[in-house]
Amino acid sequence: MTTLSASRTLPIWRFWLPLVCQAALILAIPSQALYTQITGRTVILKTVPVDPYDLLRGYSVTLNYDISQMSTLQRLPGWAEFEKQARMNPDVASGSFYLVLQAPKTADAKPPQHWQAIRISRDRPANLAENQVSLRGQISNNTVQYGLERYYIPEDQRDEINQNINAAQANRASQPIVVAVKVDAQGHAVPLSFWVTLGKASAKQTYHYQF
Amino acid sequence: MPSDKFRYQLRQEAEHWRRDGLIDAIQYQQLAERYQFNTLETAARNRFTLVLIGLGSILVGLAAITFVAANWQEWPRSVRMTLLLSLFVGVNTTGFYLWRQRYDSGAERWQQRLGQGLLLLGALVLGANLALMAQMFQVNGPSYELYLVWGLGVIAMAYSLRLTSLGVVAILLLGLGYWQAFFNWRTLELGSIWLSWLLQYMPLCIGLLTVPLAYWCRSRVIFVLGAIALISAFEGNLSSGAFGYGRMLIGTNWALAIAFALPPALLWAYDDTFWAERGQHRPLSLEVRRPFQFLARSLALLFLSVLLYWLSFHWFWDGQATYYPTTTNPATFNALWVNVTVLLGVALLEWLYLARQARSRSPHRPVELSTPVMASFIAILAVLPFLSLGGEFMPAIATLIVNILLFLLGGGLIREGIASGQRRIFWLGMTLLSLQILSRLFEYSTGLVFKSLVLFLCGIGIIAIGLWFERYVRTLSVQPLLSATPTPTEGENS
Repeated sequence: MTTLSASRTLPIWRFWLPLVCQAALILAIPSQALYTQITGRTVILKTVPVDPYDLLRGYSVTLNYDISQMSTLQRLPGWAEFEKQARMNPDVASGSFYLVLQAPKTADAKPPQHWQAIRISRDRPANLAENQVSLRGQISNNTVQYGLERYYIPEDQRDEINQNINAAQANRASQPIVVAVKVDAQGHAVPLSFWVTLGKASAKQTYHYQF
Repeated sequence: MPSDKFRYQLRQEAEHWRRDGLIDAIQYQQLAERYQFNTLETAARNRFTLVLIGLGSILVGLAAITFVAANWQEWPRSVRMTLLLSLFVGVNTTGFYLWRQRYDSGAERWQQRLGQGLLLLGALVLGANLALMAQMFQVNGPSYELYLVWGLGVIAMAYSLRLTSLGVVAILLLGLGYWQAFFNWRTLELGSIWLSWLLQYMPLCIGLLTVPLAYWCRSRVIFVLGAIALISAFEGNLSSGAFGYGRMLIGTNWALAIAFALPPALLWAYDDTFWAERGQHRPLSLEVRRPFQFLARSLALLFLSVLLYWLSFHWFWDGQATYYPTTTNPATFNALWVNVTVLLGVALLEWLYLARQARSRSPHRPVELSTPVMASFIAILAVLPFLSLGGEFMPAIATLIVNILLFLLGGGLIREGIASGQRRIFWLGMTLLSLQILSRLFEYSTGLVFKSLVLFLCGIGIIAIGLWFERYVRTLSVQPLLSATPTPTEGENS
């Protein structure tokens, strides 16, 4: 039988080559995240309250940022031009944009001050100032996404984190939850940690959680 | 090696034969050596050991999973990564070496099966690895990306090991990813640009990935699944503004004409020898095998049946003029153009090839009628969308034409089924006809008495034809029904 004798010599690389490719696919995920973590700059983002029932889904927590709101983006310089470009060619990567963020004046507050969005553009901005980064995002159907919306939280911390987030949202402290992320040169971002502040300004408690 | 059951029986019989003097001791010995009677007991013992080992490994596996689950969060990320990767490599490697053993000794079939099972498990572990890595590193990708990347990884393994089972899994995964993206395109999350390209060119990519794999694995399942995936992805891309097409071709009459006519044209004219001739320029003999032509033609018939039935309702044509906005933006380069152009080109080449073959056919072979009939069906379908815009009565005329086509298709299938003694084709035609009659009956309001009369007549007619067909086929008996699976070259084109 020809097939049997042909297969008898099935070389080992016929197995190892695809296996290495598959392993490369697996490792591409952490390597992208690690690249961003190593080369990126730390940026602090401010969240806005969301419906607590929407916030917690099983093992993950969903956060909504100040810069995730259409009203925030629409106030920025560059919005009119971005909208015009998006309308003119609707088939280029459907609504992706870059948001320029600028560092706050006071660097060592605790919890840290969040960064300000100052400009929006369709293409990646070329020459940014020293205290600015550009973050890639996408608008589709009036929802804004940066790939930073969902976090998986460890089981043993889940109840505590949930309680703190709910309490922080309930008493409407001035800056209840801020998130530290790393943003790399391409505009990709990964989350690092977040701070939850409880209580009023006079007697506030701050909790810091690493992802 | 024959089955163990057969060898048991043979050994029993052979002992009887020797006792009765039918065969002598030497002949018995030869039989015993040929069928390895002496391994029968050890085989049973081996199987018992295997069951014990299998049971034990399941328990050990459960213990390991529980242990990992208990400590998962406490372990540092590097330990978790090492665990996941070693599981991935371990399962796949064990599977491969077990599966490969079949080439060393033909008898060990359980190892091959176990190995193939482990390779399948390895494909699943790949998906688990991808998902857990994303979770561990807080990568928020959309879920369709997971399925697409996973499917691409699995199809690489399927190609390399020539494994049908992995190919099937890969096509299912790619399809899952495509349709997830399709139905969530309004809320497509921030995803990679590469994968959005893959989605835009999905019809071509799936064709390039699956058709060669079907030949490579000699698998009909892969061919059918691949063809269905190609056609459905093509219709999907054509029918919606998904994946950033804007609304350029969508909703125009051209789009409808292409959506109706291209898939059956592509499938009906599909000829396996088409590729062989393109590649090697060798003269074709009549004996060249066409393993998939029959499948492609069956799919074309199925597509036509469903499409004609769907179009036979008058509301489809009535709403036509106002249903779709016809905004076109032909200035922009569009992936859809590429998909349509390439597939149209392939379909044209296939039909030219078919026509050339028909011309060079030897004169004593019977004239094929089905291909010209199909060609006219496809041509009429391509013209229909333009017709429906013509005027006030045009929707009614279009509905009538589609109903006539549907009737002809149903009748033709019944005739074909009777002529070639194939139950499946016959009953497909029957189903089409009765569905058409029933649908028209309930679609248009007529008196109840008339409805009941028509239903009665149809019922009696169908029962009568069915009974007659079953008797006719039985008395036909020239070709037994079991062998009625058509030879690939003939198919249904007689």
